Amino acid sequence: MSNSENGRKSVLVVGGGIAGIQSSLDLANMGFKVYLVEKSPSIGGRMAQLDKTFPTNDCAMCILAPKMIEANSHPNIELLTYSEVEEVSGETGKFTVKVKKKASFVDWSKCTGCGLCVEGCPVIISNEFDQGVGKRKAIYMLFPQAVPKKCVIDKREERPCKAACIDACPVHTNVPGYIKLIAEGQFKEAYKLIRETNPLPACVGRVCYAPCQEACNRGQIDEALCIRDLKRVPADQWNIEELEVPVVAKTDKKVAIVGSGPAGLAAANDLALQGHSVTIFEALPEPGGMLRVGIPEYRLPKEILRQEIGYIQKLGVDIKTGVQVGKDITLEKLKKDYDAIFVGIGAHGGMKLGVEGEDIPGVTEGVGFLRTANLGEKVDVGNKVAVIGGGNTAIDCARTAKRLGAKEVTIVYRRSRAEMPASGEEVTAAEKEEIKIEFLTTPSCFSAKNKKLAKMECVRMKLGEPDASGRPRPIPVEGSEFTIPVDTVIAALGQAPETDFVKQSGVSLSKRGAIEIDNKTGVTNVEGIFAGGDVVTGPAFVIDAVAAGKKAARSIQQYLNGQPLEGEGPVKEPEKFSQKEIEDRKRRFPSRNKVEMREEPVEKRVQDFREVALGYSLEEALEESSRCLAGQIEGCIECHECERRCEPKAIVYTMQDESIELKAGAIIVASGLGLYDISSLTEYGYGKIKNVITAMEFERLTAASGPTMGELRRPSDGRIPENIAFIQCVGSRDFRHKPYCSSVCCMHATKESMLAFEHHPGTKSTIFYMDMRAVGKRFQEYIARAKKEYNVTYIRGRPGRIEVNSKNDNPIIWYEETTSGEIKSFEAELVVLAQAMVPQITKDLAETLGIELDENGFVKIPDKFIQPLDTTRPGIFACGYVHSPRDIPDSVTQASGAAGRAAEEITSLRSQGGN
Amino acid sequence: MNLEDIIQETNTYYCLECGKCTSICPIARYDPAFSPRMLIENALLGFEDELVFNQKLFSCLTCYTCQQECPSDVDFPVFVRKARSIAQDNGQHGICAHSGQLQSLARLMTSPDIKQRRLEWLSQEYRVSEDSDVLLWVGCAPYFEPVFEDIEFRALDITEASLKILNFLGIEPKLLPDEKCCGHDVLWTGDEETFKKLAQHNAAQIKEAGVKKIIFSCPEGYRTFKLDYPNYGFDVDCELQHISEFLAEKIEKEGLKFNEVTKKVTYQDPCRLGRHLGVYDAPRKVLESIPGIELVEMEHSGWDSICCGTSAFTNCDSYSNLLRIDRLSEAVETGAELLITACPKCQTHFRCAMVDKGKEHRPTPKIEIMDLANLVTNAIGEGGNVIK
Repeated sequence: MSNSENGRKSVLVVGGGIAGIQSSLDLANMGFKVYLVEKSPSIGGRMAQLDKTFPTNDCAMCILAPKMIEANSHPNIELLTYSEVEEVSGETGKFTVKVKKKASFVDWSKCTGCGLCVEGCPVIISNEFDQGVGKRKAIYMLFPQAVPKKCVIDKREERPCKAACIDACPVHTNVPGYIKLIAEGQFKEAYKLIRETNPLPACVGRVCYAPCQEACNRGQIDEALCIRDLKRVPADQWNIEELEVPVVAKTDKKVAIVGSGPAGLAAANDLALQGHSVTIFEALPEPGGMLRVGIPEYRLPKEILRQEIGYIQKLGVDIKTGVQVGKDITLEKLKKDYDAIFVGIGAHGGMKLGVEGEDIPGVTEGVGFLRTANLGEKVDVGNKVAVIGGGNTAIDCARTAKRLGAKEVTIVYRRSRAEMPASGEEVTAAEKEEIKIEFLTTPSCFSAKNKKLAKMECVRMKLGEPDASGRPRPIPVEGSEFTIPVDTVIAALGQAPETDFVKQSGVSLSKRGAIEIDNKTGVTNVEGIFAGGDVVTGPAFVIDAVAAGKKAARSIQQYLNGQPLEGEGPVKEPEKFSQKEIEDRKRRFPSRNKVEMREEPVEKRVQDFREVALGYSLEEALEESSRCLAGQIEGCIECHECERRCEPKAIVYTMQDESIELKAGAIIVASGLGLYDISSLTEYGYGKIKNVITAMEFERLTAASGPTMGELRRPSDGRIPENIAFIQCVGSRDFRHKPYCSSVCCMHATKESMLAFEHHPGTKSTIFYMDMRAVGKRFQEYIARAKKEYNVTYIRGRPGRIEVNSKNDNPIIWYEETTSGEIKSFEAELVVLAQAMVPQITKDLAETLGIELDENGFVKIPDKFIQPLDTTRPGIFACGYVHSPRDIPDSVTQASGAAGRAAEEITSLRSQGGN
Repeated sequence: MNLEDIIQETNTYYCLECGKCTSICPIARYDPAFSPRMLIENALLGFEDELVFNQKLFSCLTCYTCQQECPSDVDFPVFVRKARSIAQDNGQHGICAHSGQLQSLARLMTSPDIKQRRLEWLSQEYRVSEDSDVLLWVGCAPYFEPVFEDIEFRALDITEASLKILNFLGIEPKLLPDEKCCGHDVLWTGDEETFKKLAQHNAAQIKEAGVKKIIFSCPEGYRTFKLDYPNYGFDVDCELQHISEFLAEKIEKEGLKFNEVTKKVTYQDPCRLGRHLGVYDAPRKVLESIPGIELVEMEHSGWDSICCGTSAFTNCDSYSNLLRIDRLSEAVETGAELLITACPKCQTHFRCAMVDKGKEHRPTPKIEIMDLANLVTNAIGEGGNVIK
């Protein structure tokens, strides 16, 4: 058969509802090729939204699903869902059709419909399938029985920022994702999302140096998001001890981790989640590393650390404290007893000043000082304390000394403020607490009086050429010596790793004593021994240690499985806005200042170790999180969470719409029904009165796969109503809205009243009607059954107004009982409005198809008696609701009729030898 | 005109007997014998006598609430009006309130020999001009005073307030010394003949006056000139505005500002201004532009507003009164200190309802009433100004 002939022996069906499916199956069974085009991601149409069908009250999906599956698997039917007809040219027998396949951003050839992506998506939006009663995610499957069973991403706009935060974060936490969840009040989900990449959200949310904030694109238009301050919000707003422990299949592998700081904890967390048996050996009496003994209580309360370490222990990780590897147990022993080892002992060795008099009692070293204080042991500080150094440790020492009772605390730093490595926030906090900072100053010697430290001699410095660290070298200024009276000096000059014990196993160290590793995988030169954190890099930040621990855990997992070690893929640099983009964003988004973190007032907080940062209140959290640029848009925010979770790797953010061309001999329009917006009938208060809903919303409430799992709960308070009123002809038979009768509402209201009774026996339903249109087989008997067995009362009268009983949110209906002429009011707990139904075909689509619509928007049928399915264009036929108001059996009947007409049209042309 | 013609003209055939009209009809809520649907049904069934000789035919307030919602586009108020014509031909004229004084006045005015002294109230305080191209329509206000003395209502207060406002804005309007009743009440009670005579006279007067704009302080006169006169062929060819629309325009286009008046108020939409003519926003704009005024809407407001209970001073009965009392309760419930009206009829009827203080266990709701024009005069003066 030639191509042109093939084209003619095919039919395009527009609309994948039950009518479109029926036409398709009829034609396919006759041997025609059918292209079934449907604009939503799945076929099924309105019938998929129904709970039951009248007059049998059979489950709608049970009848529909076999048809959908048959259509999907029929060799002659090609399903083109999530697609729309763009152009139709040619004439009957030889139409050429352009169809746009909309970008779903999911590669359907790979998607298995597993739904893991949906679980992780942080964007929660109104679900049109549930008529707005329920919610869905930005990535979603239309309904559980969707055909094809694939997900699509609802991406409406481009993300207004570059998500530089994700790239800047050493562990690539899904920042836009968790900020969105916070903005939606989903605190448990936010905590879980952060924990995907970082096992210590509440801790890191207090101490992180936040490279994400530096990179935050919003910072280029007004102020960067306070991402770190938001990170602790989920733990503040929700009890993290309620976090469930997942069930993980256990392996037979054992891993030893040396050091319970953030690197070791992160590695332990990830390896335990893989099912391995993990033991951490911690030299100090308490776990946590620098989180426990370096960072003071007023920055990171021990209780918070205890909770988050506690969860890691709940995963099965055994932490043995007071066991120092290299002293109480050798590394060699660990090598024998364990399948892999991770060394994350940090850098806890203090450094000496190298200054005369540093042996005088009263001169101490910073790391040791903090450790002692943080372990709750007694520390002596005098009244005049000097802290030497300019890093965060120095600030910690100074602020701790203040809280331990020192009257005067001075920080002495040899460079200027600009070179100070300590974070700006810490420096500001210290200055607020009246800690002086002597810049460009270095101690030259200490002297004692009565064997006690009394004076520190200092010399002023000036900045010279940059040294090896890239910072200007400090040069002493001649003749600038001066004295500061002191009774305590704390030297916080730096930290060194204490790694002698690894030499025994052959692990190579750098000149400074740091462990050397392969940067991509975290493995040392000894197989099976991995390392990461400060022990490798020297003093760095908590999140860097977490990243190193996770990297090593990934490699250990590969090593234990006998796979080659593959490091992390290429790293993406954080992107900035161009100048043009900055101007555009400034125009689109009004300037909003960040929400400052409230702190304890200075006078009170220096008296003890209470936490200084008060944490965001709920309102503050919601306000700050709502500033995130990514979250400003509706729909997908491209946080990449679905991509992370998708095992077949089916997510394709760069997908474009695709245009294809088909040939068809005939076209069937079966685009179904839409629902009229009845908020324009202001007398009924739809949209204003909570317990006034539409019939389709009711349908979704009773459907077992609906937003309430089939529980008919009313909107205002979730109660199950025992007294329901149905009002018919809302927008139908009304010249102000739709003059025609929508045909199915009398029956579906009866059906819904019966379902209400079935869901909750004893429920009383009252249907307010003008006429009861029961024109089908057994329809009148259906109504009689409703009256007799289902406690349904029919009142003839079209209500004029609905008011509200403000005490209980019950709608009150005012109507005239036309049989008696009495005006009455009727209080119901729920009112269901039978909204008018409209043909679902836009003027644009009609124009594209080249067919005319009538004054009510239905497909115009020129010859209703002789050719009742023929549209105004030869070769194009219509069936179903878009043709005229009708129920499912009548739509299916017409569909078969349309298939017959299409087949007749094509074969008669061919038999006439027409081209 | 026969019943068949009326049914045709007003779409009455399309009635579906659904009862929506009756369920929201304000007077049907109180009067069990009044049902718009029943009146239509009688007409459709050909029971002309039942329709024409039914006293209740004259109880309809022609407030247009029913027609707002009728799904069949039946113009019930016009149906009633024309049915009342047939009734008048049969000697039926409803029960005229106040001993028929108002109806008699209208009919008296059709006599060409009547000489009126209708501008005697005009004092030196107010400036008018023969040459202005703006006319202030005075209406029946001068005649109301003696009729409603007992309820302490002086309709001319509203006219004077309107004059004061116009003068303040630099306008010295023309006043017609020989205005006749606009004919609203006689038209709505079915007396087309009287109406036509009055309309003819007024239209001629306006033409002679050569004005370009007429401002009304009474929505009934406004509606009659705007919709009914042209319908009967008496187009006055002028711009027509209610005083509230005039003010709203000044606020929007010329930045008119007011002095502070600190009052919590609520607003009664007059049927003729609201539902008949669609003017809901202009009065509210004026209220919201006065600093210190807090507007609280009643439970039923705007298109849903409840009629003041009597139309054309006909069939005013205990049901009308019950309706008024409930409406006044709604006003009181808003917590407002003042009930602002924009129609002298509304004010008349509400004041009347409040004359009877009620009983201790069932007191009549009481609230101070003021016309919008009077409120505005409190807000102009040395402080209020027009920013050019």
